[in-house]
Amino acid sequence: MTAQFSRISVWTVLKWALALVVTAIALFPIWWMINVVFSLPGEPVSINPRLWPTSIPAGVEKIRLIFTETDYLHAYCISLLYALLTIAGVLLIGSLAAFEFALFEFPGRGLLFGVVMLSLMVPTAVTIIPTYLLTSQLGWLNTMRGLVVPGLASAFGLFMLVQFMRAVPKDMIEAARLDGASHVQIYWHVALPLCRNALVTLAILTFMQTWGNYMWPLIVGTKPAIYTVGQVVGLFNSPLSHQTVDMVMTANLLAAIPPLLFFLIFQRKIVEGIAMSGTKG
Amino acid sequence: MPLRRLLPHYLMIAPFMILFAVFFLYPILSGLYYSFHAWNGVTKPEYLGFANYQKIVLSRDFATAMRNLLTYVAITVPLGVLVALGLALLVDSFVGRWANFFRNAYFMPVVLPAFLAATIWRWIYAPNFGLLNMIIGWFGAQSINFLNDTGTMLYALIAVDVWVSAGFNMIIILAGLKEIPAELYEAARLDGANKRQQIVHITIPMLGPVLFFVVTYGLISAMQVFDKPWLLTGSSFTSYGGRRNALLFPVMDMMGRAFGGVRFGEAAAYGFLLTLAIVLLTAAMFGLRRLKGWA
Amino acid sequence: MSTLSKFRFGLAGLAALAAIGTAGRAAAEDVTLQYWVYSDFGEGDALRLQQEFIKEFTAKHPGVTIDIVAKGDDDLTAGQVAGAASGNLPDVFMNAQSVGAQLVEVRALDNIYSKWMAMPESFRAQFDQDALKGCMPKPDELYCLPYTGFGSLLFRNLTVLEKAGVDTSKPPATWDEWFAQMKKVKDAGMYAIPDETLVFNSIAEIYATSGSTESWGFDWANKKTKIDPAIMAKVLKKFVDMKPLSSGTSRNDQATKDLFISNQLAFHTVGPWVNPTYEEAAKASGLKYDFTLIPGDEPGKTGGIRSYEMVGVAPGPHADLAFEFAAYLTEKAQMARWAKLLSRYNANAAAMADPEVAALPLIKVSVDAAHGAMDVAAPYFGGSVPSCYNSEVIDMASATADGQHTPEEGAKELVSQLNDCLAQ
Repeated sequence: MTAQFSRISVWTVLKWALALVVTAIALFPIWWMINVVFSLPGEPVSINPRLWPTSIPAGVEKIRLIFTETDYLHAYCISLLYALLTIAGVLLIGSLAAFEFALFEFPGRGLLFGVVMLSLMVPTAVTIIPTYLLTSQLGWLNTMRGLVVPGLASAFGLFMLVQFMRAVPKDMIEAARLDGASHVQIYWHVALPLCRNALVTLAILTFMQTWGNYMWPLIVGTKPAIYTVGQVVGLFNSPLSHQTVDMVMTANLLAAIPPLLFFLIFQRKIVEGIAMSGTKG
Repeated sequence: MPLRRLLPHYLMIAPFMILFAVFFLYPILSGLYYSFHAWNGVTKPEYLGFANYQKIVLSRDFATAMRNLLTYVAITVPLGVLVALGLALLVDSFVGRWANFFRNAYFMPVVLPAFLAATIWRWIYAPNFGLLNMIIGWFGAQSINFLNDTGTMLYALIAVDVWVSAGFNMIIILAGLKEIPAELYEAARLDGANKRQQIVHITIPMLGPVLFFVVTYGLISAMQVFDKPWLLTGSSFTSYGGRRNALLFPVMDMMGRAFGGVRFGEAAAYGFLLTLAIVLLTAAMFGLRRLKGWA
Repeated sequence: MSTLSKFRFGLAGLAALAAIGTAGRAAAEDVTLQYWVYSDFGEGDALRLQQEFIKEFTAKHPGVTIDIVAKGDDDLTAGQVAGAASGNLPDVFMNAQSVGAQLVEVRALDNIYSKWMAMPESFRAQFDQDALKGCMPKPDELYCLPYTGFGSLLFRNLTVLEKAGVDTSKPPATWDEWFAQMKKVKDAGMYAIPDETLVFNSIAEIYATSGSTESWGFDWANKKTKIDPAIMAKVLKKFVDMKPLSSGTSRNDQATKDLFISNQLAFHTVGPWVNPTYEEAAKASGLKYDFTLIPGDEPGKTGGIRSYEMVGVAPGPHADLAFEFAAYLTEKAQMARWAKLLSRYNANAAAMADPEVAALPLIKVSVDAAHGAMDVAAPYFGGSVPSCYNSEVIDMASATADGQHTPEEGAKELVSQLNDCLAQ
C-alpha cells in the first residue's frame, strides 16, 4: 500500500516537473520577446539579457510610436476582416462539401475528392502567379474579394472536416431522414453540431494561417489602403530599415496579439466540443 | 429519378468544387503548361519540352536541396509527432484547469506568425551572447554559431519546427484521445494492464487514424518547407539557402528562380518535380495504411 | 495540350465577362501615379520630406495625385515582377540597379534615354557619372535615374581600440596596418571584426582592398566572371587570417551592432545606414566611435563597395509624367535637402558638392568612400545574376576560411564554378 502510494507520488512529481519544463520551453521565447519590447531601446543584449521587462514606459512609447507612425490600426482592420471572411467562407463551403464526401455515395465522389487531395501536394509557389494573373483579370487586385475568394476552397479544411464527419453515425442520419428531415436540414441540424469541435479547430487554424499569410496579400494588395498586418510588419523587418530591433519586435508582438487572443477566447469552445464528443464515445 | 436523388449531393459540393476549379485547379494546370515553356510572366511562353525539368535535375543545387529535404523530413516529422503524442498524453493526464493551462501553453507557439518565431529564434541562436550560447557558456563550452555552422543549421531549424508544430499536432491528437471509449481502459485495468501497457495496447492503436492524419499532413507540409529556413537564414531572392546551402530547400529555390530570376516556367517545373515526390511519399503512406489495416 | 489551351481560353472568357461587369467605374479621372519606395523612405522624417516633394510637384501639376507606397527590399521586386505580369505596374519606383536586368526583361522599366536627352544639359550634368553609367547598358539606352546610394565605411569603436593599445588618432592607412590592429584587439580579448565571409557584400568589401571594379563583376558577353584568381587568392588568405579574430556574426546581423555598441567589437565595415543606431548609442550609453575609409593594400587605395538605388519609370500612358516626377525627385535641390536631412550620400554629384551638404561629416567621408570603392555587381542591366553566383562566392570564402582549401585552390575553384554558374 505504502509502496504504491509513493510510486504514484513520484510519478506525479515527475509529471508536474515535465509539464512545467515544457511550459517554460514553449513560453519563454514569447516572454523574452515581450521583455525586448519593454526595455530601453539600444541596450545591447550582452548588457541586458532581457530576462524580465526592464522599462515599461519605453515599451508603451514604442507601441504608441508604431500606432502613430504607421497605419497599423487600419492594417489590423483589414487583416481581421480578411481572416473573418475567410473563416466564414472556408467553414461554410468546406463543411457543405465535407458532409457529402464523408457521408454519402455518389458518382464521381472518389475522383473529385482525390483531385482535391492531390492539390494539397502542389506547392503554392507553382500556383501563385497563375492565380494572381486570374485575380488580376477579374479586376480584383487591391480588393477584399481578391484577398479572400481565391483561398476559400481550402483543400486542407476539406480533408480535416471529412476526417471528422466520417465519425458521424450513419444511423443518426437515417433516423433524421425517417423523421422527414431534408438533406440540408440533416447537414445543418445533425452533422454540423456533431463536428462543432472540428469546426472551431479549423476556424482557429484558418485564422492563424490567414493572419500569417504573407506572399498572397503582398502581390494582390499593392496599395496601402489594403495592407495587411503582415505587410506593415514587413516594412519593419526589411534588412535596411532604420528601425532598431526593439521597434521591429514591437511591431511583431502587436501582430501576434490578435491570433493569441482569438485562440484564448475560443479555446473554451474547443474544450466543450471535445468534452461533448468524449461523452458521446 | 436517380438524378433527382443525386442532385442535392452535387449542389452541396458545387460551391467548393467551382471555387476549387477556378482558383486551384486552373492555376495548377496552367502552371503545368508553363512548366514546359520558357516564361518570364510577361512575354509569350516559348515551348521547351522537358528542358526546364532537365535543367533543374542537373543543377547542383537540386541535389543539395533534395538531400537537405530528405534529412529534414526524416527527422522532423517522426520527432514532431512523437513530441506531440507525448505532450498530448501529458496534458491528458491532468484534469480541469491545469489540463487547460498546459494545453494552451503548449499551443501558444503555433499561434505566432512565422516571421515572429524566426525573429525570436535568430536571437536565441545568436553566437556568443545568444540565449542558448549563454546557457552553453555556463557549462564552460565553446560558443556555437547555430545558424552558420553547416553541422548544426539543419538541427537548429528542426528544433524551431518542432517547437512550433508540436502544439498543433498535440491538439489534434488530444481530440483523438477523447474519442477513445473509457470502457476499453476499464476492461484493460480489470485484466491487470499497467499504464504503459494501456498506452501501447489501447491508446496508440486506437489513435491510428488520427496519427495517420498527423503524419501524412506533417509529411506533405514538411516537404514544402519554406518560410522558416528562409527567415532563419535571412534569405532574399538573390541569395538564399544559408551558408554552403545547408538550409536550401526546394520551395526556396523555386521562389528564387521565380522572383529572383523571373523564370516562372522553370519554377513551375521545379514545383511539379516536388509534387511528384510528395505524391509518391503520400501514396506510400496510404499503401502502408492499407497493408497495416488502419482505419 | 489543345484541351488545356481550350480550358484556359474558356476561363479567360469567364474572366472577361466578369471584367465587363466591373468596367463601369473606370471613368475619366485625374491622373494618380503610384510611387514605390524602400521601406526606410516610408517612415519618419524621410517620409515627411518625400511627401513634401510630392506636394511641390503636384502643386505644379494640377489634377495629379501621387501615392507613395513603401515596401521592403524583396517585396519591391516581387511586387514589380508580379505587377509587370498583370499590367499593374507602379508608375515610378525604386529598386537596386542589380535587379535592373530582370525588370527590363519583364518590361517593367521604360527606356528613358530620349526623355533624358530632352532635359537641359544643366540637369544632366548634375549626376555622378559612374552612377549614371550603371543605368546605361548601351550608349542610347537609359533605364533608370540613379537616386540614393552608398560607399561602404569602416566604423571604428574607439574605446575598444584604446583598450587594445591602438593609436586611434590616425585611421589605418593600409591593410597591413589595419590587420595588425585587429590582432591587437583580439590579444586584448575582444572581437576585431564581424565574420566577413558570411555576406556577399562584406566579401566584396574585403575583395576591394586588393581588387577593383576591373577585376570584379561580370563579363556578360562571354558569360564569365571578371574575378581575378590571383587577387581572389590574396583575399581568401585575408579571410583565413581574420577568421580567429572575428565575432562569428555577419556584417548585417543586429548582433554585430550590439557587440559594437557594448564595446566588444572594434571594426564594422558597412554602409552609412548603421550610423543612426550608433549615434543614438553614443548619446545613450557613451559609445565612442568614428567612421573612416576602408584601407586598401597600398596607401591611398580604399576598399569597400558602392551601390546605387535607382528610380525607374514604367512604360504606359503616364510614362511622360512619371519621368517628369522622377527627374524632379533626383534633381539637385531635392537631393541636397534629402542629404541634409538624413546625412546620406546620393548620386547627385552637384548636390553632394553643395557646401552645406559637403560639410556634413558622414557625407564627406561617404563621397570619398564611393569614389574609391568597387561597384558591387557591375555592369548592371547586362543580365540577371543567377542566385548560384552569390552563394558560390559566400560558400568558397567561408569554406576557405574554415581551412577546407588553400586560398590558391579556393580561388581557382571559385572562378571555374562562377563561370559554370554564369554559363547555365
